Amino acid sequence: MKLIYRITLRLSLITALLLAVWSAFFYFTIMREINDETDDALSDYAEKLIICSLAGRTMPVPGDGTNNTYSIQAVSDEYAEQHPRIAYSDADVYIPGKDETEPARILKIIFRGSGGGFWELTVATPTIEKDDLLTAIAFWIAALYLLLLLTVVGTTVWIFHRSMRPLYALLEWLDAYEVSKPVPPLSAQSGVTEFDRLSDAALRAAKRSEKLYQQQQQFLGNASHEMQTPLAICRGRLEWLVDRTELSEEQLGEIFRAQRAIDRIVKLNRTLLLLSRLDCGQLPESEEIDMSALVQEQASIFEEIYAHKEIRWQIVRQQPLTVTMNRSLAETLVGNLLKNAWVHSSQGGNISIGIESDSLTVSNDGSEPLDSERIFERFYQGQSREGSSGLGLSLVEAVCRSYDFSVSYRFENHKHAFTIQFSPHI
Amino acid sequence: MKILLVEDESSLREIIRRELTGERYVVETASDFRTALNKCDDYTYDCILLDITLPDGNGLKLLEHLRATGRSGRVIIISARDSVEDKVKGLELGADDYLPKPFHMAELSARIRSVIRRGHPEGGRELKLGNLSLFPERFEVRVDGRPIELLRKEYDILHYFISRPGHVVDKETLAEAVWGDHIDQSDNFFFVYAQMKNLRRKLREAGASPEIRSVYGFGYKMVDEKTE
Repeated sequence: MKLIYRITLRLSLITALLLAVWSAFFYFTIMREINDETDDALSDYAEKLIICSLAGRTMPVPGDGTNNTYSIQAVSDEYAEQHPRIAYSDADVYIPGKDETEPARILKIIFRGSGGGFWELTVATPTIEKDDLLTAIAFWIAALYLLLLLTVVGTTVWIFHRSMRPLYALLEWLDAYEVSKPVPPLSAQSGVTEFDRLSDAALRAAKRSEKLYQQQQQFLGNASHEMQTPLAICRGRLEWLVDRTELSEEQLGEIFRAQRAIDRIVKLNRTLLLLSRLDCGQLPESEEIDMSALVQEQASIFEEIYAHKEIRWQIVRQQPLTVTMNRSLAETLVGNLLKNAWVHSSQGGNISIGIESDSLTVSNDGSEPLDSERIFERFYQGQSREGSSGLGLSLVEAVCRSYDFSVSYRFENHKHAFTIQFSPHI
Repeated sequence: MKILLVEDESSLREIIRRELTGERYVVETASDFRTALNKCDDYTYDCILLDITLPDGNGLKLLEHLRATGRSGRVIIISARDSVEDKVKGLELGADDYLPKPFHMAELSARIRSVIRRGHPEGGRELKLGNLSLFPERFEVRVDGRPIELLRKEYDILHYFISRPGHVVDKETLAEAVWGDHIDQSDNFFFVYAQMKNLRRKLREAGASPEIRSVYGFGYKMVDEKTE
């Protein structure tokens, strides 16, 4: 949820709650005031009537233009005992002058008449219609709420966007930042202390990571390079033994095994250097590569190398596909993908290759799915295989990442399938 | 043939020198930039093997100096750096070849022979061993002047061996040189045997004096009976 939505939602809820409480309070206060006034008027009117009654004067005619009504009747002593002397109540009464029923305030007074008996005087005066008042108040409160809401939300959004501009700039900057690329410039002059500090901190962190990353890459590069000379010496000395001295088969075998171990280090070193160069985003010159031709060429090499496995391979779909990239990296990409298929196919297996206008799929038979989370990890190997570097698929992934291609793995119908999706712009 | 070896690592210097002396080259060595510069100014060499990371200066500066003063002589850079950029930079400055460490000694002597041969006229650019000649420009092989037909891989293998006469070549190294980088140690090498068998038969039938011998099943080496 965007921050602005959250703020708006909370503001609206709080405003709604406040207005609801306030309108209830307002309604009850108004009602109390109105009842007070009405009660005073009723009590005056009743007093006048009682005086009239006690003095034995003619009672006023009800409906003399005030809509007030009254009735007077004798009550028993018990009734007088059981009821309060003065009682106010609300009820709907029939107003003869208006010929309709209206809500009214009623006052009942019990008094001792001049004859000694008890009389009950009931006076009623029409009062305002509470339902109408309630509706009116609710309507206007709702209107006020909407108005307030619009104003509050509008102002908040406007102020929010104006004040948060540096934050959004910072977020965009963070999105664009990649540790392997140079740190882009970031201005920390918004004039807001907090944002400036935040930008400053982000910039410092980015620069620190960049420096660490470079140091690490440089270290890796230097370490790999420093190993080359001692390795050259090892190789040279062993070769001298092989070429210039008389050795038994056993001795020669030992030396060859040592040489192969050296070869393996050399290869590993070379691959790590390539990976580190790719991680640094150093891409050598590109050219147009005809993928079909490259696949054909590499596949026939593997067919020859793995002839003993009697693997059947075929290109099942073939559309023209040219990709702009470096030739040796393209060979690395296709070679490692195909090699993976050949190496992991069992005796007499099948390999099918699909070339679409924007993708390359290589699939081979398999019994169970591989761990798709980890197959592109460096040095991850499903089943350990002697002499394999464990870097083949991570090279594929690294090359794809450098060129913004995507590589994915699927296991379907007992087939492992690797697909490289080349960018749509090619 | 006189060669100057510029390399700061004494052990590597020693084995390269031993190897090249064994191949009848006159080898002089320099362990730092200054010595190398002085030697280059005072003498002429047919080939200079140049390590570009030297304790007191970049070997590329020496190359620039050589080219600026118009010296003839071939230069092969031997470097621990093997990125494309490094190679391009070295070759642009006028190096004749770029050999990344760690290299095989046989590879080094093949490269030296190759760059020295480049100075010869077209006809001289053949690789010869006994009565067998290989013409790299024309992909042609002759035995006693008679051409023989070889398939692509057979030719590649022969080319590889004739550039490294007398050196034992591991079959894995051979496979990588001819079939490309995707060879694993765990692979079996039937495909090498198959090609090798045909190549040997063709050489024998054509009456070539050099032959490719197996070395206990680990590798091969090419020898010529008559020159041994």
